[in-house]
Amino acid sequence: MTSVGSHPTETGRRDVVLAAREVAKHFPIKEGVLQRVAGHVKAVDGVSFEIRRGQTLGLVGESGCGKTTLGRVVAGLSEPTAGAVLFDIDSETLAAYDGGSSVGDIETAHKVDALTGDAYRRFRRNCQMVFQDSFASLNPRHLTIDIVGRPLRVHKEASGSGLTERVVELLEQVGLGRQHLYRYPHQFSGGQRQRISIARALALDPELIVLDEPTSALDVSVQAQILNLLHELQQANDLTYLFITHDLGVVRHMADHIVVMYLGTVAESGPTSAIFENQHHPYTKALLGASPDVDAAEEFTGLEGSVPDPAHPPQGCRFHTRCPVATARCGWEVDDVVRWIEDEPGAAGRLAGVKRDSAFAAELAFDDAATAAVVVDAIRSGRIHASMPEAVLKAESRDSRVDVEFGAVPDVELSVRGPGHVAACVHESLLDL
Amino acid sequence: MTESTMPIASIRDLRIHFRSKAGVVHAVDGVSFDIRRGETLGLVGETGCGKSVTARSLLRLNPMPPGIHAGGTVEFRGAGELPVELTGVDESTLRAIRGNRIAMIFQDPGKALNPGLTVREQIAEVFYQHRADELLDDIGLTDRAGLVRTLIAREASLRSRWIERGLLRVPPLRAHRAALRRAVDDRVTDALAETQIPNPRAVMDRYPHELSGGMRQRVMIAQALACNPDLLIADEPTTALDVTVQARILDLINDLQRRHDTAVLYISHDLSLVRRVCDRVVVMYAGKIVETGPTEDLFANPSHPYTRGLLAAIPSASHQRGALAAIEGTVPELVDPDPGCRFATRCGFATPMCETTDPGLAPVAADHEVACFIHHPVPGGVGPAYEKAAT
Repeated sequence: MTSVGSHPTETGRRDVVLAAREVAKHFPIKEGVLQRVAGHVKAVDGVSFEIRRGQTLGLVGESGCGKTTLGRVVAGLSEPTAGAVLFDIDSETLAAYDGGSSVGDIETAHKVDALTGDAYRRFRRNCQMVFQDSFASLNPRHLTIDIVGRPLRVHKEASGSGLTERVVELLEQVGLGRQHLYRYPHQFSGGQRQRISIARALALDPELIVLDEPTSALDVSVQAQILNLLHELQQANDLTYLFITHDLGVVRHMADHIVVMYLGTVAESGPTSAIFENQHHPYTKALLGASPDVDAAEEFTGLEGSVPDPAHPPQGCRFHTRCPVATARCGWEVDDVVRWIEDEPGAAGRLAGVKRDSAFAAELAFDDAATAAVVVDAIRSGRIHASMPEAVLKAESRDSRVDVEFGAVPDVELSVRGPGHVAACVHESLLDL
Repeated sequence: MTESTMPIASIRDLRIHFRSKAGVVHAVDGVSFDIRRGETLGLVGETGCGKSVTARSLLRLNPMPPGIHAGGTVEFRGAGELPVELTGVDESTLRAIRGNRIAMIFQDPGKALNPGLTVREQIAEVFYQHRADELLDDIGLTDRAGLVRTLIAREASLRSRWIERGLLRVPPLRAHRAALRRAVDDRVTDALAETQIPNPRAVMDRYPHELSGGMRQRVMIAQALACNPDLLIADEPTTALDVTVQARILDLINDLQRRHDTAVLYISHDLSLVRRVCDRVVVMYAGKIVETGPTEDLFANPSHPYTRGLLAAIPSASHQRGALAAIEGTVPELVDPDPGCRFATRCGFATPMCETTDPGLAPVAADHEVACFIHHPVPGGVGPAYEKAAT
């Protein structure tokens, strides 16, 4: 295979291509004529990981878990609200950063949104992105040669006939050819368009490519072609991938390391084999159980409920609202009671107001005393959740009002479960559950 | 054959073509299969293979023009009814079948539900269309003749004019109208409760955008099953949903199907799902059926090279990375296609004969048919074989 571009780069052979440290991205919710900020959607809320050179990191989760937002932050397409994305850094420096020494210097040299001038240009050319919808991410009015040649032109890598030759070379790398130079995106099939996106990402010989669901819109036979192509390119060009997907079959096939996200945070992260053999988070287990495998015959099951509102993420473990093995320590709170009331025939619509002291304590006002009594009974008897009576400190009704208080639970932190394997769950192991 | 063993729908040599600038596209070209009572039949294939066009022809939803019905029949036998040939039937008979005897669930509930109507209005429409008489029974207006009955009957079948609607607001009539509303609301609530929507009374007043994707799909299923149809067409019902929600929706369809003894035509490109859900499978490629058989048999002994290719292309734990068995090439243009096997251009086993002669479906095992010369007696010349290509 011919090498594309031999431009001078200072980015040497530092072993960690990209490290995220407590990255958060919050979007403001604006209300009213004055566009007052009424709250924040915490799309990504404190995520850390690192990708080593030549490896593939798989980022998995349901829609709305923040994986695409995180991908965009990592690629420098949007700025993180908090935390740092560090590019091209060696392990020792990263360890020093984590230890808190010379943070300022390291951030000036490696932090993506602090880079300026040449350093920033170097980051931009070394970090490319391939999007999910190839139809939307390719300009319909541009020819293939313009689309694939644009990065080369912007970075003044080539022009004139040299540019044409480089573009042909790139197209040949992705399985297209000279005959495709002067065609528009709509003249290609979905798989071919995704190949053009990949050729564009390869144009500047990057180190890292962020692949945001690159095969979700494709048929299985074409998906196989693209996955094979991505693997060949990785081998030939020593590429590092951040592979964002919801398809566990694909991620198992492609990734060396997996990060499972739920509602903006990491639920579990570890080497692919560890994640698939021994899950330490019930969410990972549920995801695996829900995705049908053509070989396996066991029953597949889903999850109750839907992803909670990321503007008000649940306390404790964010997954406790849907978790099949939730305990009293998982963060039962006022919102769980309110959600139950909203879905309960007879109680819904009778809730007049909620006066919150904290996420764990509040006074609920109802239209009548009977409903209040029903709610108190539901909390105490475990009808809302079996482990709730154990977590509740106070649940008393006064006429049509209910005072409810739960024991405050801190956020569940990631804990080590094996070499490179961490999970955020109160259970030590899920094997005997 | 008695009525109960007769298939609920029989498609015979169906040909649907589309006129385009480049020529006539043979989107569906000679497709025949039966849907049996109470079974789940999977219709599998890649984008553009004609699976949705085939399914839509059961409800005559393909736009004509540019579509051309170039031949074939679709016969539907509803429970206790005479067979109807759907491609030639008049519009009013078809309206009585659509949404009533044959219902459909679409891929994207966000697009298929009307964003301007509440959930109540969307589902109520089905009852107004198909159950107007029963609604009158519900409110006890069975045998009373006269103005009230006429007005309410017109209201219940969505045929009242503005002046009639105005009349129904006048006090003595208003009570009947309110009773009708209550009767409809009860039915809508029951339909929603069937799909395990928590608190259906509250969901009823919401608009589609206020619901999550899984919830919207439940609303669409409630709408489709409201009249207890004989045949449900599910066109990739879970493609737009997350895997965790997908499993729930499939369980739900399965459960409702068993309780109501509905036949389901399940369209999907996802073989692993089809394997879980379906009793029998039809595999389509480029407008033709290449293989059909019982799910177990077809997945244990996939006999067409295309079916084998599709199965091998699914990434799994056993594959070496970068060594997925992709089917090379792309789906052929369906403008004036060649007479031979349509898979010949991408098939690793193709012989010259495959390009000139269409193999046609022939049985390889009980109920299992394949359109490939590897399994057929060859009319002349040398046929392909798996062994030959392997050497």
